[in-house]
This record gives sequence, C-alpha cells and structure tokens, in this order.
Amino acid sequence: METQVIIPDIDPISVPAPIWLLKILLLLTFTLHILAMNVAVGGGLIAAVTEFLGKKNNSQNHFELSRSISKMLPPFTAFTITLGVAPLLFLQVLYGNFFYTSTILIAWPWLSIIVIFILAYYGYYLYSFRWEKLEGKRFVVVLISALLLAVIGLIYTQNIVLMLTPEKWKEIYFNNPHGTSLNLSDPTVIPRYLHFMVAALAVAGLVVIMWGIKKIKINESLGKWGIRYGILWFIVPTLLNIIIGLWFLISLPKNFIMLFMGENIYATVYFMIALLAMFVSLILMFVALNSAKPLAKIIIGKVFLLLTIVMMVLMRHELREAYLQPYLNWDKVQVEPQWGVITIFIILLLAGIVTVIWMLKKSFGQKSNVDPVELS
Amino acid sequence: MNYPFWDIPFIGGGILIGFVAILHTFVSQFAIGGGLFLVLTEIKAYKENNLGIIDYLKIHSRFFILVTLVFGALTGVGIWFTIGLVTPTATSALIHIFVWGWAIEWIFFFIEIAAAMIYYNTWNKVSRKVHLSIGWIYFIAAWMSLFVINGILSFMLTPGEWIQDRSFWSGFFNPTMLPSLVMRSAVSIALAGLYALLTSSNLKDDNLRKLMIKYSAKWLIIPFFILPLGGLWYVSVIPDMSFDIISGGAPAVTLFAVASLFFSFLIFAFAYFLPYRHPERFPVALSVLFLLIGLTVTAVSEWVREAIRKPYIIYDYMYSNNVLKSEKDIVTNNGVLASAKWVNIDIKTETDTMKIGETVFKLQCQSCHTVEGYNGIKILVKGWQESFINEQLQHLNQLKGFMPPFMGSETERKALAKWLYELNKSYKEIGVKE
Ligand code: HEM
Repeated sequence: METQVIIPDIDPISVPAPIWLLKILLLLTFTLHILAMNVAVGGGLIAAVTEFLGKKNNSQNHFELSRSISKMLPPFTAFTITLGVAPLLFLQVLYGNFFYTSTILIAWPWLSIIVIFILAYYGYYLYSFRWEKLEGKRFVVVLISALLLAVIGLIYTQNIVLMLTPEKWKEIYFNNPHGTSLNLSDPTVIPRYLHFMVAALAVAGLVVIMWGIKKIKINESLGKWGIRYGILWFIVPTLLNIIIGLWFLISLPKNFIMLFMGENIYATVYFMIALLAMFVSLILMFVALNSAKPLAKIIIGKVFLLLTIVMMVLMRHELREAYLQPYLNWDKVQVEPQWGVITIFIILLLAGIVTVIWMLKKSFGQKSNVDPVELS
Repeated sequence: MNYPFWDIPFIGGGILIGFVAILHTFVSQFAIGGGLFLVLTEIKAYKENNLGIIDYLKIHSRFFILVTLVFGALTGVGIWFTIGLVTPTATSALIHIFVWGWAIEWIFFFIEIAAAMIYYNTWNKVSRKVHLSIGWIYFIAAWMSLFVINGILSFMLTPGEWIQDRSFWSGFFNPTMLPSLVMRSAVSIALAGLYALLTSSNLKDDNLRKLMIKYSAKWLIIPFFILPLGGLWYVSVIPDMSFDIISGGAPAVTLFAVASLFFSFLIFAFAYFLPYRHPERFPVALSVLFLLIGLTVTAVSEWVREAIRKPYIIYDYMYSNNVLKSEKDIVTNNGVLASAKWVNIDIKTETDTMKIGETVFKLQCQSCHTVEGYNGIKILVKGWQESFINEQLQHLNQLKGFMPPFMGSETERKALAKWLYELNKSYKEIGVKE
C-alpha cells in the first residue's frame, strides 16, 4: 500500500484529435520553442561575454556585434514565449495527468517563472532600447537578464523530469503539500539542463556567423571577424556538449540507456543519425574557420546541426514514452477527433504564416522602394 | 480529488487566480482596444496632416508594446499556470474540450505579437498604407484572440447545449458568449482611452496635449453607452442561481456588482467633465487616478463573474471543489476518502476522527475556504455547536445556494463536524492560556 504509485486518472472527456497529430504538433512547436530560446538565452550570454571583451580590449568589432545582438534579444524572447505556449497546450492534452501533478509539487518555483521572465524581458528591452546610454552597465544588464532566463530553463527541466517519475510524487507531496519542493536531487536533471544550455550557446553562435556573413558586404574585416568569432562560439560549446551529453546518458537509469544502444530501434537510429550529423557539422565548421570562402560549408553545417537538433528532440520523446510506459497506455485513451475545428485550425495556421511572412517582407524587404515623400 | 491539492495557507488558490487574472485582464483588454486606438489615431493624423500626432503615437506605441508584449503576454501565461495548479481538473476539462479553440487562439496570439513588434519598428520605414495595414492586422488578430478566449470563458458559466451533446460548437457558441463579447469589447475600448490619457497627459506641447487628452476622453465615453446594454443582455441569460447571487443572495457579491456599476459611472462622469470638457486642466496624476479606478472596476467585475458561477466551476458539469456532478452520488455512497487519490490515511484502519475531519475538509471545502485566512472557515462556524454543524452539513446547498452539497459518508460528515467544532474550541483554550 505504502509503495503504491498514485497516478491521476486521465480526463473523462475524450481527446479531440488523433494522438499522432498532437504528438507531431507537440514536437514541432517544441523544436521551434527551443530554437528561439537558444537565441534568447545563448544570444544574451554571448552578448554579455562580448560586451566584456569589447570593454577589456577596447574593440569596436565586439561592440558592433553586441549592438546587433541587443536588437535581436527582445523579439527572440517574444518568440520563446509564443512558441512555448503551443507545446504547453499539447503537452497538457497528451500528458496532463502527469504534468499537472508534478507541477503542483513544485508550484511556487513554477509560478516564479512568470516573475523571473518579466524581469528578464524588461532587462532585455532596457539593454536594447538604452544600449548607448547604458555604456558601462551594459555587461551587467544583459548578463543578469540572460542568467534569469537560464534559471527558467532549470525550473522547466525539473518539472519535465518530475512528471516522468511518478514513483517520487507521493513522498514529496505528503512531506510538503505547499508546493515549495524542487527536483534537483534527480541525477538526470543537471546534465539534462546543461545539455540544453550549452547547446543554446552553439546555436546562438550560428546566429553570430550569419551576422558576420551579412556584414561582409559592408565591412569586410568586421564580417570576417564575426564569422570566425561565431564559429568559435559554435565549436567550443559543441565539443563541451559531447561530454555533457555522455554525462546525461550515463545518468539515466540503465534500462533507458539501453534503449539507445539497440533495444529500441527508433531511439537507436535517431541517436546514430544525431551523432553523425553533429560530427559532420563540427568538421564543416572547423574547415570553414580557415577557409577563404566559408559560405557553402557554413550553410551545409547548419543544415546538419538542425538535423542533430531534430534527432535529439525525437530521442527525448522516445525517452519520455519509455519513462511513462508502465503508467500510460495509449490504446486506452479515448479519441474523438473534431475534424471540423481541426480543418479550421490548419487553414488559419497557413493564413497566419502567410500574414506574418507578408509583414516581415514589407518591413525588411522594401525599404528602398518607398517613395520618400510618402514617409511621414 | 484526482490531483493533489495545492495547499496555500491564508490566501487560498482562488485569491491567487483572481490576483493574476485581474492584472492580466486589465492589460490584455488594453492590448485589444489599444490596437484600435493606434490605427484610428494614425488615420486621424494623416487626414488632418498633423505630424505631432504621429510623434505622440510613436511614444504611445513604445509604451504599448512594453506593457502588452511583456506584462500582458506573461500574465496570460501566468493565469494558465495558476489555474492548472489550483484547479487542475477543471483546467484539464477545458483543455480537452477546447484544445483546438486554444490552438486557434494561439495562432492569433502569434500574429498579434509579431504585428505589434513590426508596427512599432516600422514607423517611417514603410509606406503609410503598409504601416496602417500592419496596425489593422494587429488589431484584428488581437480581437480574434479575445473572440476565441471569450467563448471558452463564458462556457464555464453557461455551457448550454454542450451538457447534452458534448459538441465543441455548442460549448463555444454558448448563451453568454455574445453578450460577454460585447461587454469585453466595450471595456477594451474604454481601457484604450484610459491608457491614452496617461500618455497624452505626459505630452510637452500644450496644443497637442489638449488635443490628445480630449480625443482620448472620447474613447471612454462611447463604451459607456454600450456597456449597460451588454450588461442587461448578459444578466438576462445567466442561470437563475447566478441572478439570485447578484441580486442579494450573497451580500458581498451584490455589493461588488454595485461597486462595479458605480465606478464605471464615475469614470464616465469624470471623463466627461474633466478631460473632455477641460482638457487644458488635466494633470498626469489624474490620469493615474483614472487608471486606478479602471483597475478597481476590472477587479470587482472579474470577482463578480467568478462568484456567480458557484457552486460550479463549470456549470452543471463540475462543482467548485472539482467533483463532477455525475460523480456526486458515487462519492456520497463510497465516501470522499475512498474516492480521493491523494489521501495519506488508511481508510480501513484510521480511527483518529480529527485527522479524518481535517482530510475531508481539504478535499471538500478547501478549494474555496481557508482555515483562518480568506473566507476562513473558523470564523464562519464560530459559536456553532457540533450537532448544529453536523445538521448544517446535511443541507450545505440550502444553507447557501452557492455551496455544493456535502458529498461523503456519515462517518466522514461527523468527523468533519467535530473537526470544525474543535477549531474554535482549541482556539478558546489557547486564548485562555495566553
Ligand atoms: C527563456 C525562458 C525559457 C527557457 C530558458 C526555456 C527552456 C526550456 C527547456 C530547456 C526545456 C526542456 C526541458 C527538458 O526537457 O528538460 C523547455 C521545455 C518546455 N518549454 Fe521552455 N523555456 C522558457 C520559457 C518557456 C515559456 C514561457 C513557455 C510557455 C509559455 C515554455 C514552454 C515549454 C514547454 C511546454 C516545454 C516542454 C515541452 C515538452 O516537454 O514536450 N517555455 N523549455
């Protein structure tokens, strides 16, 4: 009786969509969320280091870059939220009985995400809007904001892991029903978290490379510097992440490690492709570092990195299904798809994407076409 | 009872939800009306060829994105977090019924955020026509997100045909959906005026300030004529029980409803006599006062809206304490302890009546009552004898119509009565010792 695991029943109302569709949407929007988060958090950390180096070496290049990053941080922070809301929705409909329970156990840390996020977000706006005026304080402002956002990731990882381990719930809850617990004692949490955060630096490094490529046309030496600087930001964290990834892997319960070693064919194939793609992108970036014409290598390297990320997301999903396998039987979940509303959703989604692309095109693409007299 | 109960001492979960929801409503409805304000005012500026207004709008739109994109968006996520924690069963139900509604709302949310950033960043960078189009896209997306959310929120009070047919559309186009859409739209226009008063009373140029203050005041006056009509319509379609609650069944709620009307009227009267008639004498401090009154109206109205849904959280489907209406008899027959999952006592062997009583309180009452804080039960049963409490527990829903009936076995009820009675007894004893 005492050791029994309590799992809340799934909702008596049937799921209004096929499970596969919800899973695809979850994984898709989650991938986009993580990419945006990488630029928001990794970009902020790179900006902080860049501010520091710029001041120390009195380097104009560094300031050019940090000024550009400062303008990217607020929009990417906005995308992190908007693209985070969608997986939050699909997560609740698919795994709600696990997710609500684990969230209640860490309720206050979980709620604090909102406050931390608001502070960090205003910090980024301050950094962006007042970049010139802040001068010496820039380093501190952007560093604190980026670290605050990074703390949010740590709360997320704790919850996402806690929802997978119902064995722990009972003890946590009956010791403390006030929702002030944490889940830091789980040995997988820290490596899992660091794996995400270090990857964020690497992905933000790619954004720096892109910035360099754009600058080359206007200022060749600045552009070249940016590309090299960005490549370093990609390579160093990625090498580090090989070690952290291994740490994460061996921190998992043994039967889950074996999933990736042949026991689960999908998990194993994803893992192999991920490793392969990562090495290819690393090698391409190494070559690009000393190449006179790095563009093609960089682009192909990026494609391979994206492939790595997608594979990692799929591995993470297989891992979740394995964790929950004793407690969740998809065949028992009642499904009654609301095809009418789903159709409307898909049409509106396409229309929405077209609308946003139109706005972006108008705002970036056509500056020179505007009749100056018409400008107010 | 399916989920662990998050125990928040003194304030309770309801207050927490209310706190986040009020802040969010106050900002997010501004995010909608404010969008309309931006485009219509921009059109006005072009028509009158008044570049001063454009300069004002640039400042106002910066304020606008800082308030809505950051605070508005995050408090919205905050409500979602909070309801999931405090009322997971109801949240799960809403998510299951309306996943695709939320998903559609998310599309509009996404467009809204993108459009707001682009609108702000493209002043003077794109043609007037394009800039206005982006403004319109913003406003339409923002209003559509209200349209969707409003359908889901109003569903909780009046699920209508959904109770029988379980259809998405019946639930969405429910009886209070349209009247509350009208009211919320009107409120968002009024809020646009309130916030615009704040930014325009800050302007340096005297003529421009006068012009913009008077113009902003108009935004407050128009909705004043729509709101009462929407309100009457709304009241005419709410459940009988809710009508009773507003019109005297629960004095506090009636008081709040009256306060909501009173403060709305106050804003209108103020708006007409001060900024509209005398825009030259309208200091920033007054605009802040206006905003505070607006916040008060939002707070009391939202509070009333929550209160009239009792004893349900989703009308005729789920009680305030997260028990399904259809499960009521089962819980009563099997006992609440046997029906609940997160109970730390062995039902068969437990003999400690006080412990049983306390647990029953947690499961059945604590979703609305705290022990000693907000809506504290201790004060409410003060002076009651144990037998009287036991008696009242058998007619809870008659004692106060907005409470669900007690669901549990006789042993459990008696244990609860004893525990409730002892609350004040031990209090007295401690009092004596001190
Ligand atoms: C900048 C702040 C944020 C950071 C750094 C961040 C980071 C992360 C990380 C690292 C994970 C993966 C957790 C794991 O698997 O161990 C994650 C998952 C998730 N995040 Fe965020 N996040 C942030 C903000 C948000 C916000 C505001 C939302 C929602 C509105 C959100 C929604 C989600 C969801 C739903 C998942 C889980 C998806 C799944 O498990 O399938 N995140 N986030």
